Amino acid sequence: MGTALNLTFIVLLVVTALLAVLARDLLAAVIIFSAYSLIMALMWQRLQAPDLALTEAAVGAGVTTVLFVVAIFKTRRREEEEE
Amino acid sequence: MISLVFIAALFALLLYVVANMPPMGDPDNPTNSSEVIERYLEKGGEETHADNVVTGIIINYRGYDTMGEVTVIFCALAAVLAVLGRERRGRIYAYVDRSRVPSSVIVRTMVALLVPFIILFSVYTILHGEISPGGGFQGGAIVGGSMIVFTTIFGLLESSQRIPQRLRFPLEGSAVITFFAVGALGLAGGGNFLTFAWPEIAGNLQPSLVVWLTVLVETGIGLGGAMVLISILFSMIREEEEIAVVP
Repeated sequence: MGTALNLTFIVLLVVTALLAVLARDLLAAVIIFSAYSLIMALMWQRLQAPDLALTEAAVGAGVTTVLFVVAIFKTRRREEEEE
Repeated sequence: MISLVFIAALFALLLYVVANMPPMGDPDNPTNSSEVIERYLEKGGEETHADNVVTGIIINYRGYDTMGEVTVIFCALAAVLAVLGRERRGRIYAYVDRSRVPSSVIVRTMVALLVPFIILFSVYTILHGEISPGGGFQGGAIVGGSMIVFTTIFGLLESSQRIPQRLRFPLEGSAVITFFAVGALGLAGGGNFLTFAWPEIAGNLQPSLVVWLTVLVETGIGLGGAMVLISILFSMIREEEEIAVVP
């Protein structure tokens, strides 16, 4: 049970990390990145580091996501095609 | 192509390292053989009077680290303000305020209902951080997050009236100031900087004094961190008149 859960988390972490990098829509990338942070917070909790889990959930999934979204609203949402 | 090969090699190396990490919780792990850990776990409660070993380490044994981190947060605000500038009184609005589409009633009601409870939870995280996971920084981030949600739904005009600049301005430095002040108290008591122990002066009150000073430092970090996050958001989200584009 524990190993299966850990494996699920790790696979989800890798998948969300890759998706966040590959997404052309920056808003989608930010939301995926916040999901990554949330899984990371669960992972910290499973590694018995509740202090880190709280920090990751509040700062990683909460504050930085909003700051990224604000930055996107101030700039452009789509990544530009490379020449 | 070279970068792909490099990334693949790095990926393989990291996977190899992760696979060879010592198992979690094993008493024979290399980190457990250090005498520092033994000292923390055996004498921590007695020396720091903190019921939670992690709090004891963060505030007391590793006080300098925490003070440095607090200074880093403060410097982040200074950098943001140096680039973006602070919002000016009376003429602050953001994208949300200008938007002709009002946010939905459901979202507004939920946010208005939830924000007080989130702030209550953060107060719990800060004050209870002394004996449970959490503490000033986490609590401050939760307050900051709740106000950020509030701002994105109700607009900058509304939230900058709730937390005006004249309130944030003195509180932004509170994390650094309380930490340095409490650290200097240790000097005043004849001990070292950041020691919370004056057995000859405090006597029997020593344990409770340490607890109160820890709570004071945590509250300072929480308030300061929250205000810094809110100020960073405000200076990022604010909009003023269009800046002429120089060709």
